[in-house]
Amino acid sequence: MNRSLLLVVEDDPEMRSVVSFTLRNYGYDVREAATGAEALSQIQTRTPDAMVLDLGLPDIDGFVVTACVRQEHEFPIIVLSARGEEQHQVRALDSGANDYVTKPFREGELMARIRAALRRPVPVAERRDLNVGDLRIDSTQRRVFVRGKEVMLTRTEFDLLDTLARNADRVVTHRQILRAVWGPEHVDEVHYLRVYIKLLRTKIENDPARPTRILTTLGVGYRLVSSEAVS
Amino acid sequence: MATFARAIRAYGLAVACVLGSIALAALVEPYGHLADLAMLHLLGIVFLSLRSSVRASMAASIVSIFAFDFFFISPKFALAWSDAESIVTFVAMLVVAGVVSTLSENSRRQERAARATAARTQALYELNLELSSSRDAHQLAAVTARHLSRLFGVPVSVLLQTPEGTLEPADTARDRVLSHSAWLRREFIKQGAPSGTAIWVPVVGAHSSLGAVGLRPKLPFEQGSEQELLLSACVSLFATAVERVQLASAVRRTQLEAEGERLRSSLLSAVSHDLKTPLATMIAAGAALIGRTAEIEPKAADDILRSVVSEGERLSRLIHNLLSVTRLESANVELRRTPESLDDIVLSAVERFSDRARRVPITSEIDANLPLISAEPVLLEQVLINLLENATRYGGSDPEIAVHARAADGSVLVQIADNGPGIAEHEREKVFEKFYRGQHANKSDGGVGLGLTICRSIIRAHGGKIGVRERAGGGTLVEFTVPFAAAREQLSREASLDS
Repeated sequence: MNRSLLLVVEDDPEMRSVVSFTLRNYGYDVREAATGAEALSQIQTRTPDAMVLDLGLPDIDGFVVTACVRQEHEFPIIVLSARGEEQHQVRALDSGANDYVTKPFREGELMARIRAALRRPVPVAERRDLNVGDLRIDSTQRRVFVRGKEVMLTRTEFDLLDTLARNADRVVTHRQILRAVWGPEHVDEVHYLRVYIKLLRTKIENDPARPTRILTTLGVGYRLVSSEAVS
Repeated sequence: MATFARAIRAYGLAVACVLGSIALAALVEPYGHLADLAMLHLLGIVFLSLRSSVRASMAASIVSIFAFDFFFISPKFALAWSDAESIVTFVAMLVVAGVVSTLSENSRRQERAARATAARTQALYELNLELSSSRDAHQLAAVTARHLSRLFGVPVSVLLQTPEGTLEPADTARDRVLSHSAWLRREFIKQGAPSGTAIWVPVVGAHSSLGAVGLRPKLPFEQGSEQELLLSACVSLFATAVERVQLASAVRRTQLEAEGERLRSSLLSAVSHDLKTPLATMIAAGAALIGRTAEIEPKAADDILRSVVSEGERLSRLIHNLLSVTRLESANVELRRTPESLDDIVLSAVERFSDRARRVPITSEIDANLPLISAEPVLLEQVLINLLENATRYGGSDPEIAVHARAADGSVLVQIADNGPGIAEHEREKVFEKFYRGQHANKSDGGVGLGLTICRSIIRAHGGKIGVRERAGGGTLVEFTVPFAAAREQLSREASLDS
């Protein structure tokens, strides 16, 4: 298998070596950068397949690094941030990061995020069947099947599920979902989302009170889980 | 304009008085003596002197004398000075007019002054009253501007020194120059211009110049005039008030700093032990493994590593709680509230909690149709985690935890119950205090007595209430409320939009 190249950007040497060690253990090629500037120059020399980025860098703000990278590159960025800084996570995701992991994190969590990020999201323009675990979404006919059995969804419910499914196993922020489903003028109407997530869960979850497909990330967004990441 | 009108009125009154006494004398003439007629004229003069200026009364009395001579002293309708008696009358009239009008003018002046003083006192009193109820300098400036513009009938600008050490800018370039020089040189500035006289008064405090007050009165103030006095008095009241608030806020700041300092040092002493213990464990465990991975049994190594991880997690929780305390304790925290569904938050809390306390059974019963609440979700999750942690810690040897949530009076009521020994009644308030630990608290379980304090800060910041009760059938029941989100953000309406 072609080994993916990951760039780890983290100013703390201990944390950097732990992350790199873990990633190498999982069979990835790893390069390291201690500052934002170093990261940007490394990317110039050789574009990685994904980047693990600490938000609190000494020289350039992680958000700025994300924005810089996004001007030229599409490779996934997984942000590392301290918990309790949801607004930072949201900002990072909204400014182009693909996912985030909160510190302190468990190895399994980081690996699941990286795996999910390396699977490219399905562009909206592309109409095809999406399979997320035992969920099948027929984008052309706008039909949804749970374990082979069709579920009837309203237009909005379908769009919501479709948006989450195209980004399966990644957190999609409230604003991203609202923009995709309701349009840019509704990006702050979080309550729409609460209502429809609830409705959607009653239709596709086995036990809507204990959802296992659509997971909530408090203060950030929602994540549709494929069985692979549930583990 | 006003003085001119007053003069017109005074001389009008004088003419009326003279004509009136002539008419009256003409009526009385057939029946009375010449002396009586003279008295009538004198009466008119006295009447006039009581309410008119000295000059007007003197003028009127001279006119009156000539009129008396002309109309009533023979030869009538001619000016003739024959009678010695009438000359005495004339002189008497003049003297009376002079004395009475001087006296009355004096008393009128005094009365006017007294009335002006009273008005000034009243104005200052009202201003002072309003100033004393204001808490910040800008509010004071607004109150003063409103007051002064009511007193003088023109717009008044009140400019304060900014924290950067400059003066707030006036509207026009000329006023900017004038206000600056009033402020910097602490001088009363009066400058005439075609657009009107601009007056700028410095706001001078005990130690520094605090700002400037400017206006363009309709009529220029005279030097030492009543208006000038009033303006200066108001401005100095304002200066005192500004100094008062500045002093008060400085005191408050110092108090806050001292309070923060105290909090920090007590936090530090309280947590240093709790920070050191897990660190010591981690260091010892790590050191034990270095260079010996080959000789240690894999299972034993795993145990050691597990303890490193769990101690690290304990440390991480503690630090997270500490950060929350500092954030919530700092003045005016802004919550980032969004419409949230409580079940998501409970679920997330239970999941995160179960990650580290898998063995504790938690049953949750949440009303399926709860309205959305308005909350900062991660903070509320922390409340729940802290409460779950307490319930596990003090829930007896075989802990069982139940979470209930239902709607109650515009809020969601959440209850977390355990099956432990409960909390004695006298402790139920105290457990929310900083660093207070209940009588069942174990000294070595890693708690610092902050969990419930944080819970209370968070719930209060959300506008909810939190309290401890005895659970029916034994155990502790902690309950808190969180208000619903606004009606427009509730479920049913938007749900019906979809097809």
